[in-house]
Amino acid sequence: MSAVPATTDRTAARLRQAARNPVVIASLIAIALVVVGQLVSPGFGSYNQIISMLRIASFLGIIAIGQTIVILSGGDGIDLSVGKVATLGAIIGARVMDGTDANLAGGILIPLVVGAAIGLVNGLGIVYLRIPPFVMTLGMLGVVQGIILAYTGGTAAGRAAPFLTELVNTRWLLGAPGVLFLWVLLIVVVTLVLRRTRPGWNLYAVGSNRTAARLSGIRVNATVIGAYVASGVCAVLAGLALLGYTESVFLNLADDYTLPSIAAVVIGGTLIAGGVGGYLGSAIGAVVLSVLQSLLTTLNMPESHRTIVNGVILLALLALYGRQRKLRS
Amino acid sequence: MSLLTMTGVSKRYGGVRALDGASFELEAGEVHGLLGPNGSGKSTLNKVLAGTVNPDAATIVLDGRPVEIRGPRDAAARGIAAVYQQLSLVDSMTVGQNLVLGVEPSRAGFVSNRASAAEIDAVLERMRRGLGPGVTAGTEVSGLSPGQQQLVEIAKAVLRKPRILILDEATASLHRDQVNLVFEIVRELTAAGTCVVFTSHRLEEVRTICDRATILRTGRTVATVTVAETTESELVRVMVGDVAQPERRTATPSTDEVVLRVRNLSAPGVHGIDLDVHRGEILGLGGLQGQGQSELLLALFGATATPSGEIDVNGRRVTNSSVVRATGNGFALVPGDRGSQGLFMQRSIQENLSIVSLRRRLLAALGISMRKERTVAEDAVQRLRIKIGGLDDPVTTLSGGNAQKIVIAKWLLNEPAVVLLDDPTKGVDISAKAEIYSIIRELSSAGVAVILNSSDDVELAELCDRVVVLYEGRVRTHLVGDEITSENLVSAALLIGEGDQGTVEEQPAAADGGAR
Repeated sequence: MSAVPATTDRTAARLRQAARNPVVIASLIAIALVVVGQLVSPGFGSYNQIISMLRIASFLGIIAIGQTIVILSGGDGIDLSVGKVATLGAIIGARVMDGTDANLAGGILIPLVVGAAIGLVNGLGIVYLRIPPFVMTLGMLGVVQGIILAYTGGTAAGRAAPFLTELVNTRWLLGAPGVLFLWVLLIVVVTLVLRRTRPGWNLYAVGSNRTAARLSGIRVNATVIGAYVASGVCAVLAGLALLGYTESVFLNLADDYTLPSIAAVVIGGTLIAGGVGGYLGSAIGAVVLSVLQSLLTTLNMPESHRTIVNGVILLALLALYGRQRKLRS
Repeated sequence: MSLLTMTGVSKRYGGVRALDGASFELEAGEVHGLLGPNGSGKSTLNKVLAGTVNPDAATIVLDGRPVEIRGPRDAAARGIAAVYQQLSLVDSMTVGQNLVLGVEPSRAGFVSNRASAAEIDAVLERMRRGLGPGVTAGTEVSGLSPGQQQLVEIAKAVLRKPRILILDEATASLHRDQVNLVFEIVRELTAAGTCVVFTSHRLEEVRTICDRATILRTGRTVATVTVAETTESELVRVMVGDVAQPERRTATPSTDEVVLRVRNLSAPGVHGIDLDVHRGEILGLGGLQGQGQSELLLALFGATATPSGEIDVNGRRVTNSSVVRATGNGFALVPGDRGSQGLFMQRSIQENLSIVSLRRRLLAALGISMRKERTVAEDAVQRLRIKIGGLDDPVTTLSGGNAQKIVIAKWLLNEPAVVLLDDPTKGVDISAKAEIYSIIRELSSAGVAVILNSSDDVELAELCDRVVVLYEGRVRTHLVGDEITSENLVSAALLIGEGDQGTVEEQPAAADGGAR
């Protein structure tokens, strides 16, 4: 057999494999959406417009870090409290910062600790009280809502520190704001943690088979609890970025990010049952959802239609991925 | 004319032949025992008859007419009812509701309780002696002991007035009095023409209740005997057959140095176990399956709740209160079900190999060096001759034997001092089996304490220096060196020849009823 057909065979096989990779599919969809947008409304695909869409995507993307980790941990893992926790983080941050850079450190650290504590309670309830993640985090959503009302008395006070606003809203390098660079850094760090550290490998093992993980000497409970803590922390981080974007807070600032964060994870190819996937996919999933949102807005589609289109696209992707998994096995 | 004949019953699970042309014949009004060593196919044959296993091939003749049994409902419609050791009651429902589950008398689509109440009360009254005074139709099942639940399970089968009643280890969790009650009921049923298929690990029960017995060996029927006319040693001879004695491993110079010493270990399913494993020795766990072997290994490994007792490794006391601690103490377990307990199916071969021993190779206690991981994984793959495509392929791409070697290899990378193997060659092809044997021997020669549970007597005879035979969670017999033969293993597993064989040394018998 000559070497040439073997090489083309291998290239073809590699291409076929790439065409089945959810990360590749999601990237292609994002690009296709931009192209369609540009055709329908010239200027949609301009550099500045793309940077602006990516900036919006970064909020969702940062929330999706925690959601990815929680879903990877398996055991029907899901965190429905992320949107509310992000809102709470922004509210606390705004009040502590109170519009001055002098309070910046406290305004970031205190909300992060609160987010970690909420995640810890989620994790403890799920692991030790054996409350299903869906129910536990849904309950937590209600509790956090109550905390928000008690803490604010119904009206949110305070302002973002100028540094934070600048980080999110001011073009810094290559016409992009600092928050985009922060997101890229997070993508690299999170991917490294998942792929090249022991906690990362343990997370995949726990998500893949909890019994085998336990019998391999992995601390399953600690890993699961850690996943929910990470989710709380990431949610607050996204809340703070949103605070920088809006400068002042509302009582429902990030509430609507919960379901899109799950959608981003799913679009990115992470198995909803856990154990398979990664964060790069979720990040691209966040971009897809943000570009889609922009496109539908550009098309002047009413809110109701946008929601329907969002849902249909998500279901179509899920069906596509599910079908491929079946074909492969 | 016989009531039922089954011929040419075959069933394969993957590469394993559970039944290979087995046959079986029942006469009306008899109690028919099914006997055979581990893996002989008793349970599978029962399940084919009960409709819960679909055979690959089978000819079943009931009342002189060929029939097909396509599922449990089909079996029930033909008057076949089965009771297993595993309970199938619905915990949150009452005894009465469970008794009529699936056959509730109904009126216009609604369950009508009144019609069945009299019958339920009658059967519960019949069971009263075993159930105790407090149990009525309205008692919730979750509050009953396992023994009581087992009786309710039997009552449920009896209530269906079966023509053929299968009792597959249905007496395992019962006290002696409860067993006697069940036997009385069995005799009443057979007097009325019902026929009972009876399987039990307690040979004494088989000898008490059975008229005839069919003996299975490796999925084939080897004989049907009249129980009263057959001696126990004849039974063992038929069960074991004329197998050539396997070549024993060359006896290692046995040292007095004890690597693993276990005293009075108790945990769910095991009671007061004492073990000594010397340097360079392989200790086998024998007996019929499900007599506490897996539970013993899990308890040693810190994987079951609240084990008590003493464990010393090389003279050092260890506390294996969790798997994490046991792993830290140098223990390794190759679990009995590699799919659900040993492997991360969707993950790569590389990750499966590395996961246990990652800690040893971390950079700055956190980071993974892929170069190091590759090196150790490639080394292990070569050393254990594991046939893989590439390290990044998922483990699902591997055959049973190679998958099992991955589980063994992941532990070897952690350099354990004690290796516990739970039936490591189950469902593994012959060549991989031989390779796993040589891995086990090498481990033992290197000074690792090895405990091997095996459902295969030949395997125990081939590999082990000593075998302890477990019965209902306790050590019943020690076999050493040349005493480890298939015959002695089967005799010991069935408690045959207590006292009359000099080679079989008895441990103090335990009061029955404690085990389940």
